[in-house]
Amino acid sequence: MKRFADLQVLAGPAVLVVVAALLGTTVSVSTQGYFTDALVKVAIVVALYVFVGNSGVLSFGHISFVAVGAWTAGVLSVPASEKPAIMPNLAHFLRDRTTGNLSSLALAALVGGVCALIVALPLMRLSGLAAGIATFAVLEITHNLLRYEEKIGPGLNTFSSVPETTGLRQAALGALFVVVVAFAYSRSRFGRLLRATREDDAAARAVGASVYRQRLIAFTISGALCGLAGGLYVHLLPLNTETVYLDLTFITLAMLVVGGATSLWGAVVGALAVSAIDSGLAVAENGTSFLGWHIDLPAGTRVIVVGALMATVLILRPSGLTGGREVKLWPR
Amino acid sequence: MQLERRPGESLRASAISRSFDGVQALHGVDLEVRRGEVVGLIGPNGAGKSTLVNVLSGFDHPDSGTVTLGDQEITRWTPHRRGRHGLARTFQHTRGFRSLSVRENVEVSALGVGAGPRVAAARATDLLQRLGLSRYADAPASALAHGDERRLGVARALAMEPRFVLLDEPAAGLPEAEVPAFAELVRSVRDDHGAGVLLIDHNMALIMEISDRIHVLDRGRTLAQGAPAEIRGNLDVAAAYLGETAVAEE
Ligand SMILES: Nc1ncnc2c1ncn2[C@@H]1O[C@H](COP(=O)(O)OP(=O)(O)OP(=O)(O)O)[C@@H](O)[C@H]1O
Ligand SMILES: [Mg+2]
Repeated sequence: MKRFADLQVLAGPAVLVVVAALLGTTVSVSTQGYFTDALVKVAIVVALYVFVGNSGVLSFGHISFVAVGAWTAGVLSVPASEKPAIMPNLAHFLRDRTTGNLSSLALAALVGGVCALIVALPLMRLSGLAAGIATFAVLEITHNLLRYEEKIGPGLNTFSSVPETTGLRQAALGALFVVVVAFAYSRSRFGRLLRATREDDAAARAVGASVYRQRLIAFTISGALCGLAGGLYVHLLPLNTETVYLDLTFITLAMLVVGGATSLWGAVVGALAVSAIDSGLAVAENGTSFLGWHIDLPAGTRVIVVGALMATVLILRPSGLTGGREVKLWPR
Repeated sequence: MQLERRPGESLRASAISRSFDGVQALHGVDLEVRRGEVVGLIGPNGAGKSTLVNVLSGFDHPDSGTVTLGDQEITRWTPHRRGRHGLARTFQHTRGFRSLSVRENVEVSALGVGAGPRVAAARATDLLQRLGLSRYADAPASALAHGDERRLGVARALAMEPRFVLLDEPAAGLPEAEVPAFAELVRSVRDDHGAGVLLIDHNMALIMEISDRIHVLDRGRTLAQGAPAEIRGNLDVAAAYLGETAVAEE
């Protein structure tokens, strides 16, 4: 019976991802792009949930690992013949190597996880405000490294020529994979102990939980999943360092907060709900007609609306739309 | 594993001093708890009882003095390492894992010291039953009344199957009618599990009834120690408590 109740915690988010993907098949090709993008966001937000949701510690640095994953998968999958044109200063060992879609994604996850582990070793000793600020420093460092270090990527250039393998199907499968890993983690000993530290640090230490070790584990898994999501992202559209920087940090945190940071269900609901609003506004910013009305919103409306939405949710429902609780599909 | 029975093994504080900017909370205190005994720790408010528990459990470090567990010196060990070595405690001001269910609270503690999920679930079922918390098993811990919250703290400590348990006013807020059952539980922790128990409480009847030995602290110093009968007849102890009563009634 316990197992059964557990399963719906996974089933709810998984069904939602599948429904979003199926809806995406019913629309025009240009609109489909929004669905694909939303599913990649689900992957990022759920990865963020693994650390932030379970530990209760805010991280502004997670998009670093998305960026690192995007760079890994991107650099590895640009065809060798085209590398000199967009990445003339690439290191030798990267220049001569090209990998397939799946292995580029696996390596993106691996590199994301390793980077997160290296960052976590010193950082997870911090707590509260210091921890938040330090993760922000990580974002800045990563951003500048990727921007100016041309041995490992295109630097200021945009990642063109990466095979666009992330369609609706790959995005949905990727998001599902991340959801399943996040679910497995949160049911594991590690996830359960980390949530205990979130609730009461001292009581958790008293029962044998090392706050440092539990945060370290979650940060690393979260970094690996972010890396994977970055891999999915670079295979979706030609991106550059700006794509995986402040705006993405803001919107993914907003998604997590709006949905409800302490549950997997909240992460998925938030990612999809805010994506829907964001995409709708993006369309409106470009000018569109809706039920006979012509709509043309000024540029910048999206961020303003999403920001206002986040603030409103924080005021009216601080634990998010889902209340930070897992879904109950069928009553017991 | 680490929980094997070693009668005679003890948890010991030696010459512990601790001050907080000017306030000498502990002053050269020695205290020993052996496995299989209940030691009552009493003293007026501010005597240093909780500070001593914090020092024993690693949440506070003494300015001088040592803590030993069995034959190991653990003065500098982290709290979680002590927990994993069989030292459990409750907190005077508990909050616990508020948004987790009552059952999950207990399970997590067993997981924390290395039990598997099945064992953890079994221990939780058993402890919730014994502490009369079964009917709240699926409710969030934050929904519990004060006295129940205390008992949940005790359940968390016992789920670790500890060698030593430090209980900081676990019976505060417990209805008078439930005190005997609580005393029974403490006895079974001592007798059935062979654990050493350090029990802080202001309920003198409870302390006198279940302690094998009593240790009295007053303003950071050991005022007296001995069997309950000896302590009962000790005038200094009575004076320390009279002083406290006078203060409490102001
Ligand atoms: N973290 C701290 N910072 C400053 N002073 C402290 C701290 N902890 C304890 N004290 C002081 O040390 C003294 C002993 O406090 P302690 O909490 O150990 O007493 P207690 O015997 O547990 O009292 P009570 O019966 O009220 O729980 C008190 O004077 C208290 O104010
Ligand atoms: Mg106290």
